Amino acid sequence: MQTSYLLHITAELKNLNQIRNFVETSATALGFELDVIPNVQLAVDEVATNVMLHGYRGQGGTLEIEIERVGGDLIVRLRDEAAPFDPTTVPAPNLTLPLANRPIGGLGVYLVRRAMDQVYHRVTSTGGNELTLVKHGAGEKK
Amino acid sequence: MASEFQITISQQQGRVPVTVFHIEGDVIDVNSYEQLEAQARTAFEAGARNLLLDMTKVKYISSAGLRALHAIFVMLRADTPSESDETMKKGLMDGSFKSPHLKLLNPSPAVLETLRVMGFDMFLEVHRNLKDAIASF
Repeated sequence: MQTSYLLHITAELKNLNQIRNFVETSATALGFELDVIPNVQLAVDEVATNVMLHGYRGQGGTLEIEIERVGGDLIVRLRDEAAPFDPTTVPAPNLTLPLANRPIGGLGVYLVRRAMDQVYHRVTSTGGNELTLVKHGAGEKK
Repeated sequence: MASEFQITISQQQGRVPVTVFHIEGDVIDVNSYEQLEAQARTAFEAGARNLLLDMTKVKYISSAGLRALHAIFVMLRADTPSESDETMKKGLMDGSFKSPHLKLLNPSPAVLETLRVMGFDMFLEVHRNLKDAIASF
């Protein structure tokens, strides 16, 4: 029985829909509930968009997305060859500030942290990034 | 394939005229948020001051979509000198402030959750049917 799925894709904005579909198809095949899939899609969308816009600066590049089931956990790993950037170090936005005074940015990373249970970053052996997103015990279909 | 993003606009009349954006597209993301903002701006420049976003078909909204909502909220406030920043700030703190000019119709549970996580439910009213939504402006 397949426990992981892998997508190699060019990091371009037009591929975001394909990436979202990949998340939905894989997570469903791995037996995860439909109610957690939008959260995972959101997190992957945010990370992939940041890789496209900031990592590769709109020039495109490779992106590998692996979705795996380990026990009851859904694990997504996103790997790119952009310059090392650790999004877990981006400070959370100050949501108590009046809206007009809030700085733009930081929302995407914050959403990822809220949508997933754990987020880890490491620099790969080729000098790129690997971001691991974990959703614990995402309600399983029995 | 994602459904193509487009917005159908209808004008409704409650106590005040309300412009309704029926969003036909299942995501508001980095590829579609600019279109939403641009159409809101066009409507504003044509005189629209009360905007209802019909989110019935939207499956989820990313941070880019949230930025569009924020930009539209700020734009609709620009023409209302009677609603001061101080009033809004106080209202946000005690939970009493909701935008009188920008409201949402029927967001999905996933969209609502994203809005809640980012605190957008603090300033945006949500309605479940069109009639009540129009009447609320």
